Amino acid sequence: MRSASEPKKQRKEKVVYPKLLRELTKLNEELHFFTVINDNISEGAPFSVKDNLCVKGFESRAGSKILKGYLPQFNATPVERMIAKGFGFLGKTTMDEFGFGSFGVNTDIVARNPFDEKCVAGGSSSGAAVATAVMKNHIAIAESTGGSISNPASFCGVVGFTPTYGLISRYGLIDYANSLDKIGIMARESNQIRETFDIIKGKDGYDSTCVDKKLTALKKKKIVVIDQLTNGVSEEIKSTFQVLLARLENQGYAIEHVSFDFIDKAIPAYYIISMAEASTNLAKYDGYKYGMQYGDFTKKYNEFFTNARENFGTEAKRRIVLGTFVRGASVKDKYYTKALKVRTALTNKLSSLMKDAFILSPTMPITAPKIEEARKLSPLQTYAMDSLTIPPNLSGFPHVSFPYAYIKGMPVGAQLITSHFNDYALLDFVSEWEKSFEYQFKHNL
Amino acid sequence: MQDSDFERLLSVCRLRLGDGEKAQIKKDIDSIISYFSTIESVDTSKLEPSYHPIEIEERLREDRVEPFENPDALLKGTKTYRFYVVGPEI
Repeated sequence: MRSASEPKKQRKEKVVYPKLLRELTKLNEELHFFTVINDNISEGAPFSVKDNLCVKGFESRAGSKILKGYLPQFNATPVERMIAKGFGFLGKTTMDEFGFGSFGVNTDIVARNPFDEKCVAGGSSSGAAVATAVMKNHIAIAESTGGSISNPASFCGVVGFTPTYGLISRYGLIDYANSLDKIGIMARESNQIRETFDIIKGKDGYDSTCVDKKLTALKKKKIVVIDQLTNGVSEEIKSTFQVLLARLENQGYAIEHVSFDFIDKAIPAYYIISMAEASTNLAKYDGYKYGMQYGDFTKKYNEFFTNARENFGTEAKRRIVLGTFVRGASVKDKYYTKALKVRTALTNKLSSLMKDAFILSPTMPITAPKIEEARKLSPLQTYAMDSLTIPPNLSGFPHVSFPYAYIKGMPVGAQLITSHFNDYALLDFVSEWEKSFEYQFKHNL
Repeated sequence: MQDSDFERLLSVCRLRLGDGEKAQIKKDIDSIISYFSTIESVDTSKLEPSYHPIEIEERLREDRVEPFENPDALLKGTKTYRFYVVGPEI
């Protein structure tokens, strides 16, 4: 079902590729947002692809050294569908290794924020957000597990849309955590996202977990604010968010503040589930079938496998250790099964809150930190940065981050959440928002 | 976590860590596990686990052979013997 509101007419300009490629290559040397640029692109509106989605003939290594040199022989379904519609594949965008990060620093190519090069671009879809922030008429195909679209979209001042779990095929995705991974889209305007979403969503014979449901656009006139979520944000974000709420109230929305006593448990539940799933998914990188070739076949399998796994980054190793621990027979019920039940409790509670309302919060508790500051954070401090993006991701609810303010020149996003399969309502909301709020960009390639 | 338990866990994971990395991961692991334990306080006594966030109906496809257009390409970048991938001894 298409939305009831009339979308703003999308600006479509013919792309002059030699010029764009020249400028893009130069800017990429400063901001490090592409791992590979497709120099052979000559036509079609450009779209970029996060490095954890397979593109035929282009190195796809999900930000990891262990997949160095891996050249897929097929396109991920969303890529295939974009190309079939005449879009031009522009390149692969940088990311935290396998999506393990909130700032884009857990990898060898660290993207820089286009609003301030000393700052992070967010994570894990860091390059996708930067590419969107620096180019007109560009679409980024990204992926979120616990907030990897909303987070960088907020830090880089673009719109980041994560649909209901299962709506977009994951065939060709280098997986992180199968019960959480979702393909999504970033763009400068909601209408570009709507167009792309309609192209890439829908049933796929190659992905048995892909759902094909009729989507709705049920507009809600009430906005719920969960106080425990907003209490933990910085003072400057808190005050801009209050201005946003007042503005939405003036536009006719009823704002209701509610208490949700165990929402903070979404973070540990999410990390238990995602690490458990990641620790099994990473077992396929054994040093001889995909990507990096360890090559010393004089070693027995266990030693060979152990040697190959030295090529994972520290955060990947930490997640393998913790994910293996929580799946252990003696503690599985205490951690893994309990976390799955907490997900049920969270989903039930959020669903009841969203019967007649959207949920709104700031997307991130802070503006983009400096790269060096982000590197100094402990793992628990980093995981806490996901406090606002994890709840909808853990429960598979569609959500969108949109820019709503600028603090000392840095963009700030708000995150709107709705019920499963009411995805178009989010895009309608942002479309309305864009009529009265002008997004700012420093680059316009 | 005791050092011996940590070493056993690394062995199960088939991970060998350098001294610096081992100290770094060991340092954080107790606080992270302790943080994970906080989910105990949520009352889930009447709830079933959600293995997926939404209901996904079982969809099985017909079991049929679909020839891949270029099987040799799949083996590119790996060491091969005839049409087999060469690997370490088990």
